[in-house]
Amino acid sequence: MKCNELLQRFAEYADGALPDDLCTEIARHLERCPPCADLERDLKDLQRMCREQPRPCLPDEARRRIEQLLKDRCR
Amino acid sequence: MTEAPSPARQALEAALREEGDRLYGLALRVTRNPDMAADAVHDGFAAAIEKIDDFRGDSALSTWLYRIVFRKAIDLLRKRSREEPLSDEDAEAGRPDEAPGRGSAWSRPPDEILFDRESTEALEQALSTPPAVQRAAFELREVEQRPTDEVAEILNLPPATVRVYLHRARLKLRAALGPHFREAASS
Repeated sequence: MKCNELLQRFAEYADGALPDDLCTEIARHLERCPPCADLERDLKDLQRMCREQPRPCLPDEARRRIEQLLKDRCR
Repeated sequence: MTEAPSPARQALEAALREEGDRLYGLALRVTRNPDMAADAVHDGFAAAIEKIDDFRGDSALSTWLYRIVFRKAIDLLRKRSREEPLSDEDAEAGRPDEAPGRGSAWSRPPDEILFDRESTEALEQALSTPPAVQRAAFELREVEQRPTDEVAEILNLPPATVRVYLHRARLKLRAALGPHFREAASS
């Protein structure tokens, strides 16, 4: 497998949507191709960083407005 | 005697309690504006009240609400500005993906950069760079960890398209954040 082929398949690979034989082929490529291995590692790091960032909260005023809406219009 | 709330109202109130923050997170990722995001959630619930009788339960109530709030966020974004057309992904269709080797790997371990304020700001800035639908796909799949099929249903896209958008968003983020982290590592 070449780097460009891996890149084309990477979205499905990352999503666990590829058959086992292709996953094995990609894993083999990643073992011997530092730039592709860097890409995989960066994307995993990025995913982890995004998941560990504090999550936004619906502001109280907006929540109260929606609660009132439900009381008034959804009986 | 006070009348008991209808099942529909109870379901929507529960959804607000359980999913309100995440619905706001999606709307905020799409609109990049706190006021507009709050309006999108509000308008989404208003629309849900109107349409609740049509809800047949083919999908989870939360998936249905995400779909409505996503559309409201997109509508508000369109109203505010015509600068960000939703078809921006189409313009990229023929563009080759970034080569995997462009730029070296980040040089600092994620734990080290995670809670650095400057890094957090750089991450937020980078997260605002992909087009709206890519941002939504990223938020739902990568951050919220919702299944691809559900993300596809929310965004009204085929799952394969969601994967492509997600991949493009990831590469854009990597490209946007790479210089920041490499610079930080070498300083």
